[in-house]
Amino acid sequence: MTYRNRLKMYFKKPHNIILTLLFVILLYLTIVPMITIIIDTFTVHQSELMRIKGSKVGSFTLYHWSKVLFSSLSAKMFYQPLLNTIVVALGTCFVAILIGGTVAWLITRTDMKYKTIISTLFIFPYIMPSWTLAMAWLNFFKNPLVGGAPGLFTVLTNIETPNWFAYGQFPIIMVLGLHYAPFAYILIGGILRNMDANLEEAALLMKASRARIMRKITIPIVLPALLSTFLLVFSSAMSAFAVPAFLGTPVRYQVLTTQMFRTLNGLNPGYGYIMALVMIIIGVLILAMNQKIIGKRKAFTTITGKSSNISLIKLRKGKVFISLFVLISTLLICIVPLISFAVESFIVEPGNYSLSNFSSVFWIGSGSPEIANGEPGILRNPSILLGLINSVKLAVVVSLVAGTVGILAGYAISKSRGTKLSSIVNNLAFFPYLMPSMAFGAIYLSMFAVRRGFIPPMYGTFALLVLVGSVKYLPFASRASIGAMHQLSGEIEEAATIQGIPWIKRMIKIIVPIQKASFISGYLLPFISCMRELSLFILLVTPATRILTTMLFQYNEKGWSQYANAINLLIVFFVVGSNVIVNRVTGASIDKGIGGN
Amino acid sequence: MPEIRLENITKRFGKSVAVDNLTMTINDGEFISLLGPSGCGKTTTLRMIAGLETPTEGEIFIDDVCVFSSKTGIDISPDKRNVGFLFQNYALWPHMTVYKNISFGLENMKWNKKKIEERVVELVKMLKIEEYLDRYPSELSGGQQQRVAIARTLSTGPKILFMDEPLSNLDAKLRMEMRTELKRLHLETSSTFVYVTHDQLEAMTLSTKICLLKEGLLQQYQPPLSVYRDPSNFFVADFVGSPNINIIEMIGNVVNVDEVKLVNPSLSLLFTPTSKVVSISENQQLLLGIRPEDIVIDESGEFEAEVYSTLPSGMETIVKIKINDIILTSVVFGDVDFEIGKKVKISFPKNKYLLFDKESELQLSNGKLS
Repeated sequence: MTYRNRLKMYFKKPHNIILTLLFVILLYLTIVPMITIIIDTFTVHQSELMRIKGSKVGSFTLYHWSKVLFSSLSAKMFYQPLLNTIVVALGTCFVAILIGGTVAWLITRTDMKYKTIISTLFIFPYIMPSWTLAMAWLNFFKNPLVGGAPGLFTVLTNIETPNWFAYGQFPIIMVLGLHYAPFAYILIGGILRNMDANLEEAALLMKASRARIMRKITIPIVLPALLSTFLLVFSSAMSAFAVPAFLGTPVRYQVLTTQMFRTLNGLNPGYGYIMALVMIIIGVLILAMNQKIIGKRKAFTTITGKSSNISLIKLRKGKVFISLFVLISTLLICIVPLISFAVESFIVEPGNYSLSNFSSVFWIGSGSPEIANGEPGILRNPSILLGLINSVKLAVVVSLVAGTVGILAGYAISKSRGTKLSSIVNNLAFFPYLMPSMAFGAIYLSMFAVRRGFIPPMYGTFALLVLVGSVKYLPFASRASIGAMHQLSGEIEEAATIQGIPWIKRMIKIIVPIQKASFISGYLLPFISCMRELSLFILLVTPATRILTTMLFQYNEKGWSQYANAINLLIVFFVVGSNVIVNRVTGASIDKGIGGN
Repeated sequence: MPEIRLENITKRFGKSVAVDNLTMTINDGEFISLLGPSGCGKTTTLRMIAGLETPTEGEIFIDDVCVFSSKTGIDISPDKRNVGFLFQNYALWPHMTVYKNISFGLENMKWNKKKIEERVVELVKMLKIEEYLDRYPSELSGGQQQRVAIARTLSTGPKILFMDEPLSNLDAKLRMEMRTELKRLHLETSSTFVYVTHDQLEAMTLSTKICLLKEGLLQQYQPPLSVYRDPSNFFVADFVGSPNINIIEMIGNVVNVDEVKLVNPSLSLLFTPTSKVVSISENQQLLLGIRPEDIVIDESGEFEAEVYSTLPSGMETIVKIKINDIILTSVVFGDVDFEIGKKVKISFPKNKYLLFDKESELQLSNGKLS
């Protein structure tokens, strides 16, 4: 066979075409930006001309690296935020795994009551934007020490919250921990559900006590999954921006992301790119560790026999108390923040909760000069309407692009399973998952701010937001699709191929309908994530392309908390609403996409 | 002396009844098989006795101690019932070595290190797995895992051993070997074994008594050969035995005081009851059961038949024969084969033929055919 014929044969198969195309495109959209960001850390930028004496824009310099790592400023600018980031990420993991793991255990292994409602509600904090709880925390616990009005808690009890409780490290860890607890719950719950209950029963019959079974059997067996959860939560918490920005800024508590935002938006983009690079490296290291652990876990898979026979542990006397406690705390975390947003958005003078102070001006007011520079209420405000339209438009387009490309990627990757190209594309498609959102935004900022070959400068265009969103959320869709395709035996498609049915028809009429639920969650996840995304877009939006989340951030920075609360309510409403609708209509759900069962 | 007694045990899952009013006694030292098609409640029964499942109603006694009672609310936890349990999938702890798997139970009983080691060595010798002590379960073959699971279950010396289809994950040859060993183990440990299986051959060959269940209802509880020769109803007769029993639909009428004249378009026979008195109404619909080995093919036979197909396996040959419109299965021992389509003569010379009422499916009697 000649080389040419071989090539011809290769490209006769649709999945090979898809794979090759994806390889080229993903290489350009993930690896090339990595290289540009590295170059950026050694280049002089426009805004840095004044500092680096005698330099020209674009010339080589070691200034950024030496300043960030080895100067008198390093400690404050880089090392302290790095340390804070690590402390916050570790603390978040601890809180998330402790809470999520406990609830997962209670739901899968005990006879606790209200399981259905708890397991539904418990996912909520993860579906809602991460800063939701942060804003609620501020609404409740903010104190006048830092300036501004006191929170609900202080008003109701007359107890002034100390700074450490209201701002900085402690609330950031608590809020992020609660936000990622559902994530830990889904992962650990999945493992517990799949774990052969016979393993625990065997120990029970061997007269091991409950505590000993937990210590010697259950925990060691779920440990790899626990570690994997730990790493994923760690990397997510590390790249969180909104929560530290909301809760840390009042007391100047900086983490890498907030520091990156300051420097990239300010006068030292070079510093920011270095921080982005550091975060990406940590992210990649975490992936490598995770892969290694999951690889090992293979040896740990247990044949699930009759796991339907799980006998639930009786909580006996504690049953009512534990059930009610979990139910009430879940309700508190899910519902109370929403109520607080609603309340805050109707209050004219912050901190004054008397009835006369309530007003609908921030919702439907036409805008008067004495309130917030004459900004009209959010339901009549053209710029908020623009933000809402942009947000929805962006989320829809991103989910369509990411979802469709994800399906094709999953199809091509699993069809050519075992080949080198397949595993490379698989990794490339997963790569964006590890990139801290803000660093990813920074990369695209650096790469597409100028003309690249035939691609014009894209900064400030809607297309750039779509591009960055689609690439960032591709992993959600491709994971869902690969999982779905693996469950589908090849013969199902081959049976149609033999009858001469063309590829497009095979996809639309056979493969997609069979795995509908998984594919839809492949669209749903990017949609929801995009609706509530802040840090990915914040460096890239301009007034014309602003979206709800960035507006919320700006309003909050300006101190117009009523608007911020109202917008947040709007976002939560949209995200939760679309999740519920899609779930009802198609049976697809968000937890399916991230490894739950 | 451990004796297990179930009294009116019922287990419901939601609306479906898994076990329906089961009463039985398992005597000390017996090897009981709970046999039945899948979903008949045999595993549930086993798990209820072990305490892994809670019955909806009824009482369970082990060694005359009440371990469960729906009336008084007694529910002794599994670890206090002094039983061993061998799971279908072995349930070996994947993160422990063979040694740790076996010693875990002994550690729970606070044995000292030296005694534990002695006991583990004794067990691995008995089950011939000495060389695998430091391996993890994932590094063992199915048969080896099975042996480790048995060693682990035996380690604490339970007087009652429950086994839930322990051989179903093994290949045919290993299964044969393990059957032999389980039977020896039963003798050596002189414990009570309760064994769940859907494989009638396993139940027949291993147990001292078979408990046959169907849809949660007890069908028969007797030694294997009684179940085989004197099945209480059509279901039992059909479930036990391979190849299956031949069933012929017949119309019956009492003749000569105690004999039954059986007629159908292809065959007419006279049935002489030997175990019970048969009283039937006129032209009652009956089922005649003939075990394959009770059909004799030779020159002296009185019925004309034709060879329909043959399945020779060396030791025996299963011959399907056709009498008019009926096809019967028979077994001829030895390495013989028949030409398909050949005319042969058959007879029914034994005295173990079975008669069932078609409607109630109950067995009416054993008997002779002429």
